[in-house]
Amino acid sequence: MRIRILLLVAVLLPGAARDAQPAGLRPPVKTLTFAVGGAPSELDYWEELLREFTTRTGIRVELLRQPTDTSLRRQTLSVALLARERDPDVFLMDVAWLAQFAASGWLAPLDPYLGRDGCSGRDAFFPRILELADTWKGRTVALPLYVDGGILYYRTDLLRKYGIPGPPATWEQLKEAALKVQRGERRDRPGFYGFVWQGAQYEGLVCDFLEFGGADGGVETVGGQMIVDTPGNRKALGFMADLIHKYGISPPNTYTDMREEEARAFFQEGNALFERNWPYAWSLHQAPGSRVKGVTGAAPLPAFEPGRGTACLGGWHVGLSRYGDATAEGARLIGFLTSREVQKKLALRLGWNSGRKDIYDDPEVAERLPYYKELRAVIERARPRPMVPYYSQVSEILQRHLNAALAGKSSPGEALAAAQREIRDVLSRYD
Amino acid sequence: MRKDHDLRELLKGYGFLAPVCALLLAFVFLPVAGTLLDSLHRDVTFLPRRFIGLGNYRSLSSDPGFWQSLRFTGLFTLVSVPLELALGLAFALLLEHPTSARGFLRAGVLLPWAIPAAVSGRVFELIYNVQYGLANALVTGIGLSEGPVHWLGTSAGAFLALVAADAWKTTPFVAILLLAGLSAIPEDLYRQAEVDRAGPLQRFFRVTLPLLRPVLVVALLFRTIDSLRVFDLVFVLTGGGPGGSTTSLSLYGYRFFVGGDFGYGSAVSVVLFLLAFMLSLLYLRASRFGREIA
Repeated sequence: MRIRILLLVAVLLPGAARDAQPAGLRPPVKTLTFAVGGAPSELDYWEELLREFTTRTGIRVELLRQPTDTSLRRQTLSVALLARERDPDVFLMDVAWLAQFAASGWLAPLDPYLGRDGCSGRDAFFPRILELADTWKGRTVALPLYVDGGILYYRTDLLRKYGIPGPPATWEQLKEAALKVQRGERRDRPGFYGFVWQGAQYEGLVCDFLEFGGADGGVETVGGQMIVDTPGNRKALGFMADLIHKYGISPPNTYTDMREEEARAFFQEGNALFERNWPYAWSLHQAPGSRVKGVTGAAPLPAFEPGRGTACLGGWHVGLSRYGDATAEGARLIGFLTSREVQKKLALRLGWNSGRKDIYDDPEVAERLPYYKELRAVIERARPRPMVPYYSQVSEILQRHLNAALAGKSSPGEALAAAQREIRDVLSRYD
Repeated sequence: MRKDHDLRELLKGYGFLAPVCALLLAFVFLPVAGTLLDSLHRDVTFLPRRFIGLGNYRSLSSDPGFWQSLRFTGLFTLVSVPLELALGLAFALLLEHPTSARGFLRAGVLLPWAIPAAVSGRVFELIYNVQYGLANALVTGIGLSEGPVHWLGTSAGAFLALVAADAWKTTPFVAILLLAGLSAIPEDLYRQAEVDRAGPLQRFFRVTLPLLRPVLVVALLFRTIDSLRVFDLVFVLTGGGPGGSTTSLSLYGYRFFVGGDFGYGSAVSVVLFLLAFMLSLLYLRASRFGREIA
């Protein structure tokens, strides 16, 4: 509550100050507000894009700079929308909270604008993602601006050195390769591990868990109930715990420290053979100063059976506020941001993976970003986390119990059964 | 005539109090009342708001995650506060001792307190790190352990790591508070006790401790409330893990606020508030705090 009030004050104050201006001083043109977060360099690039939009359309856009942290970005948006603020008009949402925003009625349907006024139609985007993530009760409420899926990074030099033909197709192959290489490499590098991934108690753990299960795991919704305690999921969680405790190919601090950046740094220091991470790590692994530059490969994640692998869908989607005061202008900005031209620029400049299919066929993108080809297959098979408005509550429970199983505090079966019970209780609160 | 004067004085008095009362009303009573009201509702962004009485509290009572965080918060307070008070008192007594470097030492002791908890949490995360942490370099260096220790890997380890980090950060606060209390004790009393042939231990228990009690109670109160509300340190150092075993009540409630369930999050906040409030009342009563100040 305290945080909510503080944020309310923080969001409302600038609004109040603007209202206090005499009417005559107001700019005659409507001003659009666009909220986005990220690193300073990214935000500078957004400014550049917005200036271009203004030059072309004459619509002024104000950039509302948000923090980098995902849950802080979510909070600032929630508070503004909860208070039915007129700003921001357009904003980015993580796919993990898109459903909550849609179900809260905060998003204006985009259907009237699609395919008109320079805005692409639904068919420009990956149909599965649009269907599973951006459609709420039959309406298009967002468009994918940046799509993401977990991939497997591997050391090409080490695979060659130990005579392993290529990246693993199954978890069993991954385990064997990791054991072999780890044994050999430890002679020179005692801190070398076979496989790093995200196991700390946070959202990323849920993504990794869903990917370990692949097409045989996951969270199913049956008759209004969410099913997590399945044989496929038990197998996945058991394997995750075994990687740390039984095979010893994932570091002991996997379940305490390992998030995206920790795993990336570990691999980038040359201390691991395999790494599960998002595509953003690619350009950093290949950057000057990286110890794995030129010897890193990327492949789709394995599964227990070949061809059953999936990726957890991540990424950012752009939406239009229902309470904004410049809805039509906002829709034009969304059309601009999701256009082929801008999406290509975002791919080349920020390394963003487009939600548009045609970017993956672009020869210039293919030349500059060689991993993009692989990525298309990963993204087409990516599965979103449960698209339910109370996903955060479900995720909190899953994180806690999955992490307990990784810590060896409970068996995979106990952990999933307990999670199942608690999820049922949460759902009963939202009847 | 005289009555008029009294009335004016009275009004003037209330006038001086008014700003404080308004501030308290706006920033303490209204938010608390608002949270209390929220906690009696199903207040979720994606469903219509509905009054459900004690429904949220009933759900809390059967929520293992809530009980786990309540247990952690209670235990954390129970262990860290006495430790910090004892260490703080020891530091205060040492710093009272006149040396030429006293000013420098006093300023130095305050440093950890001046560092934001998020920053010190990060520092301790590095210290406890399995691969390159300082703690492991120490224990393996002096031969206490053969391999690296995974400090944050068990519930007990993570708990003690948090207590240590918290003690490091807040002991200075207690020390400075008690130091102020110590310097307010008149020298004469000690000299008199010496004349009466009281030894150092007797002087400490018969003179220092009783006269320090009001300040001790204040320190105890501040530290108890603060450690019940612990958030930033846990958030940064353990993220509530492993397996939720170090999730504090405020961290648990916060997650519901982020997830859009304000009613349930408020119920957690109210429990935390009541806990802190009752403990404070208990302390003040037990120490007869009001009487001594008067």
